[in-house]
Amino acid sequence: MNRGVTVFESPDIYPIKNLSYEFIGLEFENPFILAASPATDDLDMVRRAFSVGWAGAVLKTTSVEGTPVDLAYPMMTSFTDEGGKLFGMGNIDLISVHHVDRVEQNIKTLKKEFPGKVIAASIMAGKKDDWQYLVERLERAGVDLVECSFSCPQGNIGEHPGRMLAQSVLATETIARWVKEASKRVPISIKITPHVTDIVEIVQAVKRSGCDAVTASNSLQALMGVDIRSFVPYPQLDGKSTYSGLTGSAIKPITLRTIAEIARHVEIPILGTGGASTWGDAVEFMAVGAGAVEFCTLVMHRGFRVIEDLKSGMGHYLADMEFRSTLEIIGRALPNIISHDDLPRRSVRSHIDEATCIQCEVCYLACRDGGHGAIERMPGRIPRVNLDRCVGCGLCENVCPEGCISMRVIA
Amino acid sequence: MMLPFRSDRQTRVEAERCLQCYDAPCTAACPAQIDVPGFIAMIRSGNLTGAAETVKTANALANVCGKICPEEIFCQSVCTRSKQDTPIAIRELHFYATLHESRHGYSTPRFFSRNGRSVAVVGAGPAGLACAFELAKLGYQVDLFDRRLPGGVPRYSIPSFRLSEEELNCDITFLSRYFQFQKAVIDEVRFREIENSHDAVFIAVGLTMDKPLPIPGAQLQGVIPVLSFLESAREGADASAPGKRVIVVGGGNVSLDAAATAKRLGSDEVVLMYRRGEKEMRVWSGELKEARQQGVQIQFFTTPIEIFGRNRVQGVKCRRTRLSDERDATGRPLPLDVDGSEFDLEADAVIPAIGQVPGANFLRLFERTLQGYLKVNDSFATSRGHVFAGGDVVGGEGTIVQSVGHGKKAAHCIHRYLSGEMDP
Repeated sequence: MNRGVTVFESPDIYPIKNLSYEFIGLEFENPFILAASPATDDLDMVRRAFSVGWAGAVLKTTSVEGTPVDLAYPMMTSFTDEGGKLFGMGNIDLISVHHVDRVEQNIKTLKKEFPGKVIAASIMAGKKDDWQYLVERLERAGVDLVECSFSCPQGNIGEHPGRMLAQSVLATETIARWVKEASKRVPISIKITPHVTDIVEIVQAVKRSGCDAVTASNSLQALMGVDIRSFVPYPQLDGKSTYSGLTGSAIKPITLRTIAEIARHVEIPILGTGGASTWGDAVEFMAVGAGAVEFCTLVMHRGFRVIEDLKSGMGHYLADMEFRSTLEIIGRALPNIISHDDLPRRSVRSHIDEATCIQCEVCYLACRDGGHGAIERMPGRIPRVNLDRCVGCGLCENVCPEGCISMRVIA
Repeated sequence: MMLPFRSDRQTRVEAERCLQCYDAPCTAACPAQIDVPGFIAMIRSGNLTGAAETVKTANALANVCGKICPEEIFCQSVCTRSKQDTPIAIRELHFYATLHESRHGYSTPRFFSRNGRSVAVVGAGPAGLACAFELAKLGYQVDLFDRRLPGGVPRYSIPSFRLSEEELNCDITFLSRYFQFQKAVIDEVRFREIENSHDAVFIAVGLTMDKPLPIPGAQLQGVIPVLSFLESAREGADASAPGKRVIVVGGGNVSLDAAATAKRLGSDEVVLMYRRGEKEMRVWSGELKEARQQGVQIQFFTTPIEIFGRNRVQGVKCRRTRLSDERDATGRPLPLDVDGSEFDLEADAVIPAIGQVPGANFLRLFERTLQGYLKVNDSFATSRGHVFAGGDVVGGEGTIVQSVGHGKKAAHCIHRYLSGEMDP
């Protein structure tokens, strides 16, 4: 990752770790691919991403000629903590403004220049003919995977604007059958939404259609905030606003649950996406069932160069864990997810490590007003747990800014 | 010497503060060109081995620099974050990463295929080691020569309270597989042999001779050359205090190291004498603070005019100075004597630390600068074909990381030269 004034490239001194594996019939050089997004809408951008090590890219969603793509700007809003640290982004972007001819050409060019990369296309349409036409055309262009957006949460262009295809079991199954029917060679993944009562019945519909995989999941519908003086929500467009699609770390726990829920109930390959920002997040996605992980917000914030740490971190992780292949991660956490009823019932109590406690008394306050009044103030501001009152809820452990509280099982 | 963060959590918090700038000023300011945002991103994600590898890829003396690099004059001085609040503690994060690696085991480097050519590196200090490593990466067989063990300034001049032998050896052990080391004194004859038996030579012999104090009495017993003083102090157990009352003359890091070392060895009183003020000192604040904490007294605007005593040093006659409007070659104001300000200071040892000059005698074969350093062009080429040079021997007293930068860049110049892409 040399940049700036460097006058020469210093050769790497460590061997390149092999992270490659096969998934849905495709060879992945590593589990990290770019999600359909502005980062994959331009040929040179994708070239740059591939040259620094991304394993593949889902080109920004395309549709048939004549589909109106009427973008509104500004389209981005950030979701930050009080200190301004960004942990989510909202967008009111739509599909690619490029004509499908150009997307088709991009696929051909990329396939020729980067034969080892996974080149995927994302499509969205209304009528059966259009869905099938897109699949056939992109397949002929040499695409490796077609992802069908059944779930764009903003500016949906289906027959019922505002309603996502993947919110209806019937619509999902019907249209998934159309696209699968049209493909001869290329695997089809249906990009679903977590905005449903039961994700399992939707994915079962995908499975029945014969499609090859699901992409779980998409951005979440959100209102990014409201200016409390002008009462105009964000993003603000001449005094008006609309709902955004929320992405980034903020939605990671929701995506994890979505992937896990699918993996626990339906036997279908999963492309995980939505909120992964580190190699560790990717491991988590895979541990609950994803076979590869798509990134978007991280790249839009930090650039394609983040792939260096994703690959390096994953390589060292595999070595530390003595895993021979990336595949060994997939589904490893699933046996450990059980129903609340089946959880073990045991007696735990809070334990405060006095040696590392910094005497802020945040735990005291949290327990007094949100817990069980089980932390007592002591001289010197060292908090002490009253074991008779403590129920072991874990609130104190989670609010401690120094990480010096743990929950211990008591006999 | 600041210790690394108290906890892993604090380290992560500090790493989280990094803005991850594009074309980062910290990387540009690092003579070894460490990808600072890159390794900090890895600390953030918990990929500590990756962070250590990133540092080591750029800087062959990763452990040494993590411990003692003066970040305040390099990376940290240009940190964008300081425009918001305070700069990132870059060196400490670097230290944290390399410490992790030294505790958890070093990553195994890949095999570097050989290109069939050989380069001799004369001088096994930071510049020579960095050059040897870079050349090995580029496929050269490297023969490394030094009159002492590999390590140079970090092994022989930097006090062990700043850098332990163990810390130094982390780097030397790692690097030693990339060169054939020969302990040998290189004279003119031997140099010509080396020159004839290699495709190119890199000279990095550093500065091995103390500049003598040009005043009467400099030959008295009790006047101790700073380099040999620091070297014997590093040897440990046998080292004894140079005297009860010690005067160190000079305003650089070497003089601070000598003063702090004398104090640590048990001298009752140590005075550092400098002819200019604190602002003009070429030292980093951490070392100055350390010396003061050790109890070193500092006499600014003072210059010695005579060392007196019968056979042995008994004291130093001094004179006060003031700064003139004229500047010297380094851009600092020239000090002028204040007439009638003479006074005597008692002392039983004087350590002049007013700078060093190259000492190796084979250097006679080369064109030199006015200050006596080896003359090189922008590509580190000397006046002799096939011979390149870098480090303190061409630039005067610098920092370790600057020498590493020289060594790396020179290796690439040698490579370009031997590949026919560049004239000598």
